[in-house]
Amino acid sequence: MRSSNQLHAAVVELIAHDDARIKYSTVQNWYPGDKEGTGGIYNFVTKRGKCLGKNSRISWTQVETGSAITWKYPSCILQGENSVGEFYSVAVTNNYQQADTGTKMIHMGKNTKSTIISKGISAGHGQNTYRGLVKILKGATGARNYSQCDSLLLGEKCGAHTFPYLEVNNSSSQVEHEASTPKIGEDQLFYCKQRGISAEDAVNMIVNGFCKTVLRELPMEFAVEAQKLLGVSLEGSVG
Amino acid sequence: MLEVRNLHAKVGNTEILRGIDLTVNAGEVHAVMGPNGSGKSTLAHVLAGRESYEVTAGEVIYEGKDLLKMPPEERAREGVFLAFQYPVEIPGVSTTYFLKAGVNAIRKHRGLEEFDAIDFLALIKEKMKLVEMDQSLVNRPLNEGFSGGEKKRNEILQMAVLDPKLAILDETDSGLDIDALRIVANGVDALRSKDRAILLITHYQRLLNYIVPDYVHVMFDGRIVKSGGKALALELEDKGYDWIKAEVELAQPTIA
Ligand SMILES: Nc1ncnc2c1ncn2[C@@H]1O[C@H](COP(=O)(O)OP(=O)(O)OP(=O)(O)O)[C@@H](O)[C@H]1O
Ligand SMILES: [Mg+2]
Repeated sequence: MRSSNQLHAAVVELIAHDDARIKYSTVQNWYPGDKEGTGGIYNFVTKRGKCLGKNSRISWTQVETGSAITWKYPSCILQGENSVGEFYSVAVTNNYQQADTGTKMIHMGKNTKSTIISKGISAGHGQNTYRGLVKILKGATGARNYSQCDSLLLGEKCGAHTFPYLEVNNSSSQVEHEASTPKIGEDQLFYCKQRGISAEDAVNMIVNGFCKTVLRELPMEFAVEAQKLLGVSLEGSVG
Repeated sequence: MLEVRNLHAKVGNTEILRGIDLTVNAGEVHAVMGPNGSGKSTLAHVLAGRESYEVTAGEVIYEGKDLLKMPPEERAREGVFLAFQYPVEIPGVSTTYFLKAGVNAIRKHRGLEEFDAIDFLALIKEKMKLVEMDQSLVNRPLNEGFSGGEKKRNEILQMAVLDPKLAILDETDSGLDIDALRIVANGVDALRSKDRAILLITHYQRLLNYIVPDYVHVMFDGRIVKSGGKALALELEDKGYDWIKAEVELAQPTIA
């Protein structure tokens, strides 16, 4: 395989006017490099969205399984009253992959709402970072945000990092953040094996369960594809 | 079906099983009793193949094969089932999905055709009646937020679906209310058959009113120190374990 790295730099801009809804889904499986971390794509992407109109909504859904390095922060400026921004993300890193991803939700308008669900899965020497900003401006009366950032670790050498930034300038707003870092437990694996399920299938099942709240946001045909990709990316990660 | 000879096992540096001998034939129900910490769950897990326990001596022959050589998933596929004392939660994975994966792995191993979604739903529906379980429960993430009793019921549902040859039930009766105990125990009793052996770990004789055992064994300090018939359970209920401890202590010098 190629030992040099290639760059993928894309720019996506979305604008949603009154009552418009945009759902932007990505499943990314660029070449991640080899087992030693040689080669692979640098996936540096700019994605931003503006909920300009009243009651508008932008949803970013992404499943990132490929690339040597991913830097990507799909964002929403919530300007229109009652507008909604959503970010649903699954990022998997195995071998020497790195994913640094997250979102910015900037609340400007009244009663704007945002939801952030991020699931990072790390295996091998993989590193997964959630980096996000929730900013509530002075005028964003009644704004609400819910964030949930979970990281699943498979093995001893991988890492998960979470950097949530919150900036709140309006006292009527409500911001909630939850985070967890479970490890696939020996007890979960043993339970599955005791029912006849192989270690590999058990890991797939546990990982898919972990990502379920994100995967169900994907269009059906994407979800099936994404599930398979998760399995492929994690192949050989558990003995 | 199962022949355990002089089985020793340790976790870390502590020896927990210190010479277990046990013979179980198809069709039999064996109750295993004994005080907390005597090694009952350890025995169950060692038979099921849990990697964190190290077998240091002894052998286990199951259906003519060396059980200790098989990885846990192979033991399951060969018909060994463990109902866990503490069933494990798997977020985002429903009982239905989990159990279908299990039953199909087992069927594949046995050269049988795998169940499709429709056949499987019919099967699980039928087995749910056995433990009077509600549909909503099997659609929820496995064991997540289940009450203690719901978890135990779910274990027996899994047993019914997986149709094991050797079922080891680790304190399936604890955490059940009186009605649930009757339902679950009758469910287990209905699963008795001449081809299946059941190892029933329990603290309470009341379970044995529903599932009358052929043999009762008492574990103490990593060994089976007394075996008998159903009457032994009644005697234990009446007298506790102290008299057995005393007997063991008296016998100690000769054992050494
Ligand atoms: N992983 C472990 N690490 C250290 N000690 C352990 C471990 N597992 C079991 N033990 C110890 O082994 C002994 C036997 O435990 P086991 O769970 O087999 O008992 P039990 O007979 O099932 O008890 P109970 O009736 O309370 O369920 C206990 O002293 C326990 O603390
Ligand atoms: Mg126990």
